[in-house]
Amino acid sequence: MEKMSRVTTALGSSTISGRTMFCHLDAPANAISVCRDATQVVVAGRNIFKIYGLEEEQFVEKLNLRVGRKPSLNFSCADVMWHQMEENLLATAATNGAVVTWNLGKPSRNKQDQLFTEHKRTVNKVCFHPTEVYMLLSGSQDGYMKCFDLRKKESVSTFSGQSESVRDVQFSMKDYFTFAASFENGNVQLWDIRRPDRYERMFTAHTGPVFCCDWHPDDRGWLATGGRDKMVKVWDMTTNRAKEIYCVQTIASVARVKWRPERKWHLATCSMMVDHNIYVWDIRRPFIPFATFEEHKDVTTGIVWRHQHDPYFLLSGSKDSTLYQHMFKDASRPVDRANPEGLCFGLFGDLAFAAKESLISGDANRKPYPGGDRRYPIFFFKKPDLTEQFAHVSSALSVFESSLESKRMDWFVKTARLYLLSGKPFAELCDHNAKVAKELNRPQVSTTWTMLRIMFSDPANLSTPGPNHIGKLGTLPLMNSFSMKEMGMGTESRLDRSKGESRQDNIHLELGNSLINSNNDENEETEGSEGQAEYMFGDAELDDDDLYSMDMFFSLVFSAEEQEYTLPQEAFPLRHEIMDNPLAPEHLQQDKADSPQASGNEAEVMCLTPIESFSLISISQPLFSPHLPAPFFCPVVREMLSHYAEQGDVQMAVSVLIVLGDRIRKEIDDLTQEHWYMSYIDLLQRFELWNVSNEVIKLSTCSAITCLNQTSTTLHVNCSNCKRPMSNRGWICDRCHQCASVCAVCHHVVKGLFVWCQGCSHGGHLEHVKNWLKSSSHCPAGCGHLCEYT
Amino acid sequence: MFVARSIAADHKDLIHDVSYDFHGRRMATCSSDQSVKVWDKSDNGEWNCTASWKTHSGSVWRVTWAHPEFGQVLASCSFDRTAAVWEEIVGESNDKQRGLSHWIKRTTLVDSRTSVTDVKFAPKHMGLMLTTCSADGVMRVYEAPDVMNLSQWSLQQEISSKLSCSCISWSPSSSRAHAPMIAVGSDDSNTAYSGKVHIYEYIENTRKYAKAENLMTVTDPVHDIAFAPNLGRSFHVLAIATKDVRIFKLIPLRKESAVGSSGPTKLQVQILAQFDNHNSQVWRVSWNISSTLLASSGDDGCVRLWKANYMDNWKCTAILRGDGSPVAGSSSQAAVPSTAGGPQHVLLQASSAGSGLMLLNGKGTPSPYRPTSQKHL
Repeated sequence: MEKMSRVTTALGSSTISGRTMFCHLDAPANAISVCRDATQVVVAGRNIFKIYGLEEEQFVEKLNLRVGRKPSLNFSCADVMWHQMEENLLATAATNGAVVTWNLGKPSRNKQDQLFTEHKRTVNKVCFHPTEVYMLLSGSQDGYMKCFDLRKKESVSTFSGQSESVRDVQFSMKDYFTFAASFENGNVQLWDIRRPDRYERMFTAHTGPVFCCDWHPDDRGWLATGGRDKMVKVWDMTTNRAKEIYCVQTIASVARVKWRPERKWHLATCSMMVDHNIYVWDIRRPFIPFATFEEHKDVTTGIVWRHQHDPYFLLSGSKDSTLYQHMFKDASRPVDRANPEGLCFGLFGDLAFAAKESLISGDANRKPYPGGDRRYPIFFFKKPDLTEQFAHVSSALSVFESSLESKRMDWFVKTARLYLLSGKPFAELCDHNAKVAKELNRPQVSTTWTMLRIMFSDPANLSTPGPNHIGKLGTLPLMNSFSMKEMGMGTESRLDRSKGESRQDNIHLELGNSLINSNNDENEETEGSEGQAEYMFGDAELDDDDLYSMDMFFSLVFSAEEQEYTLPQEAFPLRHEIMDNPLAPEHLQQDKADSPQASGNEAEVMCLTPIESFSLISISQPLFSPHLPAPFFCPVVREMLSHYAEQGDVQMAVSVLIVLGDRIRKEIDDLTQEHWYMSYIDLLQRFELWNVSNEVIKLSTCSAITCLNQTSTTLHVNCSNCKRPMSNRGWICDRCHQCASVCAVCHHVVKGLFVWCQGCSHGGHLEHVKNWLKSSSHCPAGCGHLCEYT
Repeated sequence: MFVARSIAADHKDLIHDVSYDFHGRRMATCSSDQSVKVWDKSDNGEWNCTASWKTHSGSVWRVTWAHPEFGQVLASCSFDRTAAVWEEIVGESNDKQRGLSHWIKRTTLVDSRTSVTDVKFAPKHMGLMLTTCSADGVMRVYEAPDVMNLSQWSLQQEISSKLSCSCISWSPSSSRAHAPMIAVGSDDSNTAYSGKVHIYEYIENTRKYAKAENLMTVTDPVHDIAFAPNLGRSFHVLAIATKDVRIFKLIPLRKESAVGSSGPTKLQVQILAQFDNHNSQVWRVSWNISSTLLASSGDDGCVRLWKANYMDNWKCTAILRGDGSPVAGSSSQAAVPSTAGGPQHVLLQASSAGSGLMLLNGKGTPSPYRPTSQKHL
């Protein structure tokens, strides 16, 4: 596996090589330490004390230091440290308070050298002086730190933190006499080894215990501390007051912290509970770990860099009884999986976009990003420093606001506001809605409305069309598309024969699609679908023959659709009949010129001379209106509504559904209707069109929809006469037996809008009360109340 | 046609997610700096930060709004293995004067053992529910039985898959003909485990979600997934951000017997479009409200808008730079990379994921430009 590829690092004279590997221990580890030349590691725990050799492919057990049939508590180690100068010297901190040193050079099996039992409670930490062979420091739960000279039988000095238990002690790498100690109460103390009476300095580093601390290997005076408050803090100790210069927030309490060799800004941490991973952080970017090692299955208890000058090998021991060697290149990088971009479409078509600045400004063709980002010059031939790239990141946030009206949802809002769905005769509703759609530059929708009017109106209505009906409302595309639709449903071969240039694929277009075809190009955007305006008659002058075949299609279609229905043969002569009507062609021509749609669509103008187009209309009217019953169109309309819905214009589907009412309702199954209503209402509410949404709910016939208005609404009604709650459902108070909703001015029952004064509960028709209030501010009922209306 | 309005977000690390609320007047951002910010649109169209607070002790991957019917409620999820639900508190007069609002944590969902990578509220008609997914491949569905009590959430279901999950999306359909549906994407990088998108459907009989579909053709890591607003359609449309942008159409096949809802609905899966114009990982996809436009953003730092014509032919209608400047040739059509036209070399700084530099040649295919002795860090 690639993951196991070997890495060899030359470090002066010695060479370290190896791979990610692990071995099982017999027992959970509490601490590990490596010898100076990075070839062996010692693992210590409550029930384990072993030395493993680090070989290329595996760990090899070298020595078991737990000897004797009944090991004493002295072997129960909380901490272990291998001397960095003297390769045979080890020290352990025992849970029973003993500090033990071990001499590997001893010939006997028991390597125990010295035993100090001066601490009264668990020793949490032992630490050798980095340069002094015989100097050992210990920190204990009993609150004392002791310094031992290994040539003597007992400690040479005792330091009393006078805080609480000591969790960690660390000799400074650079200052010979200085060591740092961290405490359970959140304090960190700095001591001079020569002055056991008093600490040099003390500061509160964390809230809660400080479990660990580590001096920076290179930077004099940088101390990293980790605490139960899940934070790692880096302190600059060179100033008079310890100054917090970096703070890393981890996700669990920090048990160990170790600076990474050769990397100024990196440190590794592990946690003592919940989290089993080892993280390497770049302290300049304190939020995302630079690298993560996720191998352990239980809490990691000890981490140590294998060699003090090699940043690629990390060793760790864990409560899961394993010892791991981690290769840095096998680490997982959380940043790689972290999403550098955020993107969201807003309701009004605006687009919020947040992206890593380097991604946006990465294009050399562009000027630098307006923020002036000179921190990342683009190197052409020099390798960019990846750690630098990691450390400096930020995102740019911008909102793209659509300047095109069509991209915004204005049309939806306007349409919703302006449509009339009830309260007028069907034809007027259609005309009104067609006009609204037309004004919003949506000819397809407009045409649909007009077509619906034609299809479903009474023949009597149509026979006397107002002058503004046919011409204005874009009947031309209607007829064309309609006929095309019909042709599509008819026999294709016939169509091919008569119109060789019309393409085969036109035939497959559905009704709505063919309607799109009649839109001019500018309107494409509005319609939510970009029609390739393949206008069927665009390049063909219609002559009588064509017209003839057209009519043949109509008859064909109808006979195909409805076998019992046959088209009357007199469809043709009618042309002349209507030509006799002198008014219509004029109107048609005028309106066509006025209409932006017609003039915008050159193809249309070119292809259909007024007379020809008129003939089409004139044919169509007698064709459809007198002879075809409205239900005939239902399948077509149903299909059209579904088409609108599938295209995402549920507004149209619902509006038509409401306006057509019973004409179409039974054609569409309730579940679909309910779905449409729900979707449309949801949209309306998004746009805060509460009135429209309410109207739609009211007009809907689905029980599931109408009940929307009744949920969580409670009305409490009091009688305006006796002022007591009305108990029954009607408007007659059962206490005073009077009608409760009588207008105080005209004394008639109010139906519909009823205004009343909140103070005296008298009121009546809006108009009457309004008029009354012009003359008097007292209640019209004569109760003497000074009424207030807001 | 787009005007960019740059906002000084002032997040201290990467922004991972932006999210509009139901009415499009508020926006929330979340960042690795462990904070969430809420932005309100003023009357003149400017976005003002009205709240910024520390939400987690790790990177915040996602933030999402609940339907306003449940109050001003946000959910966030984080690297710190938790998801949290926040509610805005009205009042606090001095805060109001400074134009700041106050958000308090209503609950912390601590069931995950690894990073929680996504959180999404269910569509309103299902009540107050949310779902999370995590890096160890577990999807969880929570429900607040009492919509007035945002601090009480019960874990309804846990579904484990072997693959680490990166994103999740509810089907927004409110139709009773459609069972509730959740799509989960995985960013597992091993392409050998095929099918990085799983679709779960609610089974009425068992009251559990069960796997309905696995999109086997999606084998690369998936970074984002989004159902299109349904708007009364009979089918579902799903956009996927992986190494390219993909749009799938999922058509529920009617079951023979209406009663036999013991198994998930069979779905007919059609791929509508697949675009690799980003030439890199695609990180995000987002639908507009009428589901006519899809926006995608990729490692190339561009936002691309996709649109279908009536024939369901999808093509690119716009390319936007981070600062809103249109990319040359952005009006050019689909399948033609924007950099076409001359062997111009566009230098892109590689993401921190990759190493070294990336050179884009005129054909728009990236050729990795790696310095010789590259050292792993």
